[in-house]
Amino acid sequence: MAQTAGRGDSIKHAFIGPAFLVVLVVTLFPLIYALVISFQAIRLVPPLPPRFVGFGNYAEILSSARFWGSMWTTSVIVFISVAFQYVIGFALALALHHNVAGASLYRVTFLLPMFLAPVCVALIARMVFHPYLGPVNDAMGMLGAGNIPFLTEPNLAIAVLITIEIWQWTPFVALLMLAGLQSLPGEVFEAAKVDNIPAWRRFRDITFPMLLPLSVAVVFIRLIEGFKVIDTVFVLTGGGPGTATETLTLFAYNEGFKKFNLGMTSALSFTFLIVVIVFGTLYLAAAQRVTRRYA
Amino acid sequence: MKKLLLTAALVPFAGAAWAQCAPDYSGVTLTVSTQNGPFIASAMAMAAESFEEKTCATVNVVEFPFGELYPKFLTSMSQQTGDFDVIGFVPAWLPDFASYLSTMPAALREGGDWEDIHPVYRERLMVWNGEVKSATMDGDMHMLNYRADLMDDADNQAAFEAEYGYPLAAPLTWDQYYDIAEFFHDPDNGVFGTAEAYRRGGQQFWYFFSHAASYTNNPNNPGSMFFDPETMDAQLNNPGWLRALEDYKKGLDFNPPGALNNGSGDVRPLYAGGTVAMNLDWADSGVLGATEGSIAGNVRTAMLPGSTEIWNHKTGEWDTFDEPVASPFLAFGGWQLAVPADSRNQEAAWAYVAELTSPEMSGRAIVTANTGVNPYRFSHYENIDNWLSVFTREEAESYLGAQRASLDAPNVALDLRLPGFFSYTEILEIELSKALAGEVEPQAALDTIAEEWDKLTDEFGRETQLAAYRASVGLPAN
Repeated sequence: MAQTAGRGDSIKHAFIGPAFLVVLVVTLFPLIYALVISFQAIRLVPPLPPRFVGFGNYAEILSSARFWGSMWTTSVIVFISVAFQYVIGFALALALHHNVAGASLYRVTFLLPMFLAPVCVALIARMVFHPYLGPVNDAMGMLGAGNIPFLTEPNLAIAVLITIEIWQWTPFVALLMLAGLQSLPGEVFEAAKVDNIPAWRRFRDITFPMLLPLSVAVVFIRLIEGFKVIDTVFVLTGGGPGTATETLTLFAYNEGFKKFNLGMTSALSFTFLIVVIVFGTLYLAAAQRVTRRYA
Repeated sequence: MKKLLLTAALVPFAGAAWAQCAPDYSGVTLTVSTQNGPFIASAMAMAAESFEEKTCATVNVVEFPFGELYPKFLTSMSQQTGDFDVIGFVPAWLPDFASYLSTMPAALREGGDWEDIHPVYRERLMVWNGEVKSATMDGDMHMLNYRADLMDDADNQAAFEAEYGYPLAAPLTWDQYYDIAEFFHDPDNGVFGTAEAYRRGGQQFWYFFSHAASYTNNPNNPGSMFFDPETMDAQLNNPGWLRALEDYKKGLDFNPPGALNNGSGDVRPLYAGGTVAMNLDWADSGVLGATEGSIAGNVRTAMLPGSTEIWNHKTGEWDTFDEPVASPFLAFGGWQLAVPADSRNQEAAWAYVAELTSPEMSGRAIVTANTGVNPYRFSHYENIDNWLSVFTREEAESYLGAQRASLDAPNVALDLRLPGFFSYTEILEIELSKALAGEVEPQAALDTIAEEWDKLTDEFGRETQLAAYRASVGLPAN
């Protein structure tokens, strides 16, 4: 019997083997390769022989003001935009859930921005906020505010980037929150209505706590996706003026595709990965605590 | 017997088919590659079609996004994979590519077609360490575009002369350029003085170089514009560059609002649409203005302004000249073709290059929409009639005259060609952008750039960079 079990185990391993190999080759090899490169000074332009530098690339990144600047810019864009996306998205979902007049039309309309490619959104935004030809500045001009340098003044440019993120990704939050709302048990709400519990308390004590796990997941997805923002920044400001609107991903892109500094780019990617993992872990731990409190 | 007769009857036709392939490259397949079309790639495809008809070869035009070209070409050539028979690339990469490229056959370097190429391209941009490694397929330089309806207007001329004390005409110095920009700058009526690119990532640094050439490309010290050709010390923070940066920044006062975010793609429609009186750009603005703009018929082109003072880095003083010295800047320098040494079809590949750059084929390409090909042959500049489908005669004479004059200028300035070009220019763009936005003082920005350029030079190897730089500016090896 034991012999049969032993043979069964080896057959099991034989079957798992190919899948394990595929995972190893397809998923892990590129990561390991990139990790190895991150410890080397390796450039394609001009082609220099690879040189092992240990943690040299990481040390250079951590001592670089440009890295911390891009980290700050990315964080500001992500945290502010996701906060707004969540609040507005949830509010929209609540409105749509209560079947306001024309809800199906709104549902489709609200979702449209999400379907646009970020590059298109950025190009549209570039036109909308154009200091001379854009309608926003036209309106500002009519109000006597003159030409506002939306894309060339650092704080305004970041505000524009946040606005675009909110505009494009709020529908995603609304869609998921609406799905969550529609899956909530109706009996609880009916009972609350019978007990004459006001709408605000129904939201605070029933809807919000019941949707909290979903909210945690939605915000988490948006935060992680938000950290990857590059297209809109690239098209709208190119990271300028100076490096004022440069995000982490744009910084890595410039190192990789303009300077072909592969060692540094790999190190940047891993630093970025570590930042996201640390942040993700902290966020999930905090979210778990909050969810437990409401449970 | 029937078969014999049939064979005999077909012999003359076979001979005729053979005669159609001259030279006969039947069975040869060329892989030619460049950036995604239509620009440049469509010109290559046009030549491929004609080459296939003439030689019976097959030509595959393979396109890649611009960002992928450099690593793809370099990897393929350094690994000797023989992937490409002809590559279309930018002159800045020639230093990195030169050792992997075959030399142009002697037969292509003689005769009328060869002499027809302007010497600036033929003897300087196509040459690396004394060998012709590439063939120019597109001429490129920065020029000044202005509007004849404004500049030739009698009232404007009188008013300008009364205000500035000299006649209104295409500017010969940058001071005159700013006088004219100031004169026409009238935002209340929707007209602005000039347009230049200031956007980081919007080809901004070439515009800055165009200003800097006038103050730093000293004819007494050839090749000293970017680096000291003896030590390879960066020159970017000398007083010549500082004046150029201050000039370039001053231009913002006469640009439309938001110019800090304008790239070269924005500068063109601003001119073509009649929003600005002048602009600096490659040849594209003129063509756009004449064909799709609201200023058609009024497109005029001039050589870039110059200066009567040029910084001398050896004496540490300004050299002064009685007349303005024109230092037109060959920004970018135009696309080039080369045949990698690992190509298995080198003869056919060079024949394809000859076809593409022939006076006939290139003469068609320069006046065909969206090929991105600009003039580089004497015949391109001289055959005005060829341009009448694009310009009026006056426009064409001005457009071609300015380009020819730029190339003929004794102090013409070549673009930077150095291994790691984009590493150097990225640092430049960031600091330049900060200085333009007022985040740092111009001198501080230039000091940072010079310091970082020196660091990069040390990282890449000062001796190898020095050798490459000297070769790029046509100086003999140290």
